[in-house]
Amino acid sequence: MLKITFPPSPPRDAPLIIPVRPGQIPAQFQPAATAGAFTAAPETTCEIFAATGHTLLVGLGNPEATGALAASRLLRSPRIAIDARHLSPTDAAALAAGACLRAWHYDRLRTQPDEDAPLLAGLDLVSDNPKTRAAWADISAGIEGALFARDLVTEPANMLTPAGFIARLERLVEASISLEVLDAAALRAAGFGGLVAVGQGSVHPPCLAVLRWAGTHSAPPVGFVGKGITFDTGGISIKPADGMWEMRADMAGAAACAGAILALALRRSPAPVFAVLALAENATGARSYRPGDVLTMLSGTTVQVVDTDAEGRLVLADALAYAARENPQAMIDLATLTGSIVTALGHEMAGCFDNDPALAASAASAGAMVGEFLWRMPIGQSHRRALDSDIADIKHCVDGRGQPDACQAAAFLREFVGETPWLHLDIAGMESRAEADDLHAKGATGFGVRLLDRLIADRFEDPHRV
Amino acid sequence: MLEITFADPALPTSGALALLVAEGAGTSGLWGAADEATGGAVTRAFAAAEFTGKDGQSVTILAPGAGLTRIVAAGLGKEAEITDRKIEEAAGTLAAALTREKVAALAADGHAGGKAAAAAMGAVLRSYRFDTYRTKQKPEDLPKLAALTILTGERKAAEAEWAKLKAVADGVFFTRDLVSEPANILYPAEMASRIEKLAGLGLKIEVFGQAELEALGFGSLLGVSMGSAQPPRMVVMQWQGGGAEKPVAFIGKGVTFDTGGISIKPAGGMEDMKWDMAGAGAVVGLMAALAGRKAKVNAVGLVGLVENMPSGTAQRPGDVVKSYSGQTIEVLNTDAEGRLVLADVLWYAQQKFDPRFMVDMATLTGAIIVALGHEHAGMFTNDDDLAQKLLAAGTASGEKLWRMPMGREYDKQLKSDIADMKNITGRPGSSITAAAFLARFVNEKPWAHLDIAGTAWSSKDSATIPKGATAFGVRLLDRLVAEHFES
Repeated sequence: MLKITFPPSPPRDAPLIIPVRPGQIPAQFQPAATAGAFTAAPETTCEIFAATGHTLLVGLGNPEATGALAASRLLRSPRIAIDARHLSPTDAAALAAGACLRAWHYDRLRTQPDEDAPLLAGLDLVSDNPKTRAAWADISAGIEGALFARDLVTEPANMLTPAGFIARLERLVEASISLEVLDAAALRAAGFGGLVAVGQGSVHPPCLAVLRWAGTHSAPPVGFVGKGITFDTGGISIKPADGMWEMRADMAGAAACAGAILALALRRSPAPVFAVLALAENATGARSYRPGDVLTMLSGTTVQVVDTDAEGRLVLADALAYAARENPQAMIDLATLTGSIVTALGHEMAGCFDNDPALAASAASAGAMVGEFLWRMPIGQSHRRALDSDIADIKHCVDGRGQPDACQAAAFLREFVGETPWLHLDIAGMESRAEADDLHAKGATGFGVRLLDRLIADRFEDPHRV
Repeated sequence: MLEITFADPALPTSGALALLVAEGAGTSGLWGAADEATGGAVTRAFAAAEFTGKDGQSVTILAPGAGLTRIVAAGLGKEAEITDRKIEEAAGTLAAALTREKVAALAADGHAGGKAAAAAMGAVLRSYRFDTYRTKQKPEDLPKLAALTILTGERKAAEAEWAKLKAVADGVFFTRDLVSEPANILYPAEMASRIEKLAGLGLKIEVFGQAELEALGFGSLLGVSMGSAQPPRMVVMQWQGGGAEKPVAFIGKGVTFDTGGISIKPAGGMEDMKWDMAGAGAVVGLMAALAGRKAKVNAVGLVGLVENMPSGTAQRPGDVVKSYSGQTIEVLNTDAEGRLVLADVLWYAQQKFDPRFMVDMATLTGAIIVALGHEHAGMFTNDDDLAQKLLAAGTASGEKLWRMPMGREYDKQLKSDIADMKNITGRPGSSITAAAFLARFVNEKPWAHLDIAGTAWSSKDSATIPKGATAFGVRLLDRLVAEHFES
């Protein structure tokens, strides 16, 4: 995260970003703007090097996107400034937020300097409005949560094992979030048949993390549930080698839940929220669970395993059943669950499945506000029927290519949520970006953190509603 | 087609009797009469079979007495939730249970005349067969039921409603026949000549051949066709049932066989590609239905008919074609041909007819099956109002739709290095990018694209659709017109 300061006037020793609207280009920059064909159209830039200093004019559009674009042009500057004196505190803060998201990079594992890596570390948000600091405090919690999630998603699986993930949650405990961990023995004793089976092939035992933010309202909590497969080989139904390394990110759902609850704590949300993270490594080993195995889940439901690479729904099923015991107002699970959703929606939107259309609509609008888009997908009768098993209560997926696996996975999960209002966000394809562009850093996105933070703010913080 | 007659409610004394039973309903009407006449055999059988009238339940009672050969019953679910669609499904289930009978009656007493007609519709739709190419069927394998009497207290109303529904059923059957025909029999010219036979219904039919399409400049459609020995066709069907208003337009993809072309498909399952004309087939059936029931609407149906073959004259990956709209397309995969056909036909529909809206249907992408499966077709549209109307018509007709997204981020993936656009993108979101491609040939008209790749063909029987061609879209769009666009 960039270090943000709030000087009243622009510093002399850092490039200055000036957001402008058409017709408002400062006179001293007009000749350069004309020469560069810059008209201040939204989300365009004009970089000017003059004796008086280094300036970046940026056409003001969506404030976050504008901030991201400006940062993308100045990533090699250790420090930048944004002249926000003519902007509202909210817009000023959003510009800084966009810059922080764009400037994120992960260099903890480098031992030698990377000549292309961003150096940007500090941002002076130049503002004469005293409310700008408060606006920043408001938005920065979500940004910090998102960047925390990105770091988790990026960390390789030899370091971020289930136990490694738990260790990283120390940051949340520092923010007054309580952490309870059910270790493998506790999971076996309690009957987490799905999570135990998925984790049993690995030398890194599975565990369940339960995070709680108490809030101040005396209302039933909202539950976040995250899939946290720290590495997914596919298990006995092993994946092809190509691209398997990306499976270190198969815990992005759990990371998003952790990031979101951190955001709520950092901004002292009044809403009580808990998060259940199902952490396991799906390894190929002598103890691995097998295709054809029948598992007895925490809920008591028996599940016939078809493909050990459809492990996410097994760990989520137990985590959802566990979360439902708290009688939450609502449960939202996030998971990099299926390739099918990527075929369906590409890399632009996550799939949203639900048993509560109003909650789904709230989540979609919260997502749209923060640029994390959802599209509602169906759970049809045929999707559930396809899971009928010959020998157990249910199969967990359907054999064969071309299946609507995202819908079928959602139908499976629905069996474990009971009557609790519930959303399942299939974020596969959204957890990471293959390439950087003007508005986005390459790599982990932290998708879901800001959406959840916003959803809580929009729907669960009004004391009159609860 | 199963012959339907309507008669006043009276317990038959011979043949088979079919009952529609609401959940938890007490014996009454013909059901009560049948139970009494058989000495309580019906209620005893229901109890033994745990039949309570739930949705999807059915039971058969053989030789129950009272001269009847069999009694079959199907559940309707809760009384308050009975819709025409549920009646259709139950009646379809009953029809399937009656195929061994020569004479049968279906008791629809206690329901309004419209629901009695819906029962007839369900039974008829389920009894469809495509036996054209069977030469050795044994008599015992053939269904014996040729006629079904619907017993109703509202005979007049039922008959009036059935007259309309029968026209729709005719349209559905016409479509199912087209879609079921193998591709050596049904090639573009043959399909066009079958469509021409619909002129008798009052449709004005125009057929465009290779020369006419060349003269128009249909470079996109013609590129797909050029590998085949079978020349292409475009058929335009006009129905003038309304006043002076502009027509509504329906456009269908009609690839009579899709090998994939030079980008050839794998052999496994390629036989399914005979039904790659199901969108066009549905448009034809829809137009037959509208004309057959004399719908008070002006409608135009346009189908682009081609065969996609690999050969020495075939289009190559990398070719650039100029579409009828003037836009150029870099063809990177010759198996993404449906959109190339639709592009020219969509543009023509707008230029020629300036329609109120357009709906196209196409078995367009495998990705829509991975997205939604076989229960819903994917709907892509630029018009929220049309979307709502289509969704509602889909639910009511049992041909369900699910709306899928569109947007700039998808459209921009079509950027080509050397032409206005390319015809494929990567697999992620590829049903959406296919729709984005089509949208570039929609000239600010309200428009919806229905990707029916997962719903045009069924691998197993359902209540009103025997395994095989479904004619998905005919009833949906007929309903759309009937509810919103008839004067």
